[in-house]
Amino acid sequence: MGKKELKVAFLLALRSLQRGSRSSVVLTVLIIAMCFTNMIFLPGLFNGIGQGIITQVVDYEVGNVLVGSKTGEQYVTDLDATLDLINGMPGVDRATPHFSKGATLKYRQRVLGVSVKAIKPGDEKFVSPLYTKMVAGSYLGEDDTGEVIIGQPVAGDATIKAEDEFQASLGGVRVGDSITFEYPNGYTKDYRVKGIYFTGWSSADNNVFVSWSDMEQVEGKPLDYADYITVKAKPGYDEKFIKDELLQYGVPGYVQTTGDLLEKSMGKVLQSFAIINMVSLIVGVIITTVVLFIVITIKTINSRRQIGILKAIGVDKEVIMHNYGFQVIIMALLGIFFGVILTALMGVYLAANPIVTPEWSATLYLTPMDYITNALILFFAAVVAGYVPAYQVSREDIQTAMRA
Amino acid sequence: MIRIDNLKKLYHMGTVEVRALDGVTLDIAKGEFLGIMGASGSGKTTLLHMLGLLDEPSSGSILLDNTDVGKLTDYEKTMFRLYKLGYVFQDYALVPDLTVMENVSLPAMLRKDRDEEQIKADSYEILQKIGLCDRRDHLPRELSGGQQQRVSIARAMVNKPDILFADEPCANLDSENSRMVLELFREINEEFRQTIVMVSHEDWHKEYFHRIIRLKDGKVVSDGVNGNGEKAG
Repeated sequence: MGKKELKVAFLLALRSLQRGSRSSVVLTVLIIAMCFTNMIFLPGLFNGIGQGIITQVVDYEVGNVLVGSKTGEQYVTDLDATLDLINGMPGVDRATPHFSKGATLKYRQRVLGVSVKAIKPGDEKFVSPLYTKMVAGSYLGEDDTGEVIIGQPVAGDATIKAEDEFQASLGGVRVGDSITFEYPNGYTKDYRVKGIYFTGWSSADNNVFVSWSDMEQVEGKPLDYADYITVKAKPGYDEKFIKDELLQYGVPGYVQTTGDLLEKSMGKVLQSFAIINMVSLIVGVIITTVVLFIVITIKTINSRRQIGILKAIGVDKEVIMHNYGFQVIIMALLGIFFGVILTALMGVYLAANPIVTPEWSATLYLTPMDYITNALILFFAAVVAGYVPAYQVSREDIQTAMRA
Repeated sequence: MIRIDNLKKLYHMGTVEVRALDGVTLDIAKGEFLGIMGASGSGKTTLLHMLGLLDEPSSGSILLDNTDVGKLTDYEKTMFRLYKLGYVFQDYALVPDLTVMENVSLPAMLRKDRDEEQIKADSYEILQKIGLCDRRDHLPRELSGGQQQRVSIARAMVNKPDILFADEPCANLDSENSRMVLELFREINEEFRQTIVMVSHEDWHKEYFHRIIRLKDGKVVSDGVNGNGEKAG
């Protein structure tokens, strides 16, 4: 097959698409575009959910690396020294402790049990974007005492009756209001609401946060221990690297990366997502292959006499086959191109209007590699689907073709 | 130029055997304008298809330009058609999506011995000859039947083939256009000494032929000018 033959095949293909049935070409391109979108959208959404969860876990739960208490111990002890050790390591942006204590909150007629988290507000800013999520009031100051920030679901909405609430709340707490906290150790204190936040991550939004020094008052002693320490890595540093470093330096705690934790908690879910993605991909490829096979088969059947004529005037069967092959290639490329645009537009829309549930929020998450892989799979499926009928019809003898 | 020896073509329609060609033996000289005439079903088109390498005979042999075409492979036959033969069909058989110029250039574009400039020049020359140069960018559907048939002849001629086959090329044309097409064949034949084999069932076409063979039931029943047994001089 020489250059001249390919050139003629391409000319025949191009002219057939340009001057043949435009509606058929547009419809086929549209089907390929839809198949591409179908192949890429669902996996993109699942990836978006997964990525959203990972981001939120990193931002509001564990940072990049979590240092928990050793097996058999309740807390991470010798806190100040441990924090100094971790903060001094290369690649560590900041380490900050968390300490939680259950409490009963009383506001007007409402009583609610929540987990009160003590944080070091200044350090926490380096690890979590919580301070950017204030919907009313302001974030905690480093030495604030008697002040609290609470999640919006905990604060509640005064316009919704208790029996109509999705989850129990304090029934419409506003900034400046006073809430009574009763701790299990008998310590009771009135806190002024300094701010109300909303992150979209359920587990964070159902907490209330007080400063470390405030919790020391609750505990009645200096708080040189914590439930866990969250560690934020500097940009460009791998979680695994930080973990290895912490272990190497003998940090007194149980060290896990976000990946380790997600593997334990989300492994099954991510596995299910991968299976659904694979099924969606296979279905998309099959639909595209079948549709293109039908389209090209119909096209070749309708052109059998013309194929016979072309052969009669000396056009080789390979040229005829590649003519239809090129038609499929052009339609597949156009379909993929429009599919990419369609998916990108949906991505932009979802970025502006994420899918929000009470537990998590998600957008479309697609990497250039996702686009390339799916485009290549669809392209090869299309080429196979186009070439099979083209090969069959190009092999037909002239008399049979011309009599069609 | 063409030598046919005891050519037979049998078809099986169920249990019935049909002898479309029944032992045709014929010699056609270079530069001859031969008419194949006969009633419907006499075997004219079948013979033309055999000669044009569009169909395989059941037995017998065909020598085209001293080549035993029965021994050629499928690809060699395609190349033989491309380089040595031209074909004009009853229904013009132009590629509907190509312009007049593209239709005419198509066979030339596949030849390995032609560059782009030469293809353009040859196509332009032949279009001038058929008087359709000004319609070269038109699509076949924008032309009349007579014009389409002239384009079909131009396409068959662009590679300057040794033999031109025409299968009832005037069947779909009125008498004025038919005469125009036949005049064109005559000009080509006289100017280029092209061998032309044309199938026709119109009696008045015979004035254009050097020689006429008549077929009946797959057999040659007469061979000569006006079918009287005398060959043209």
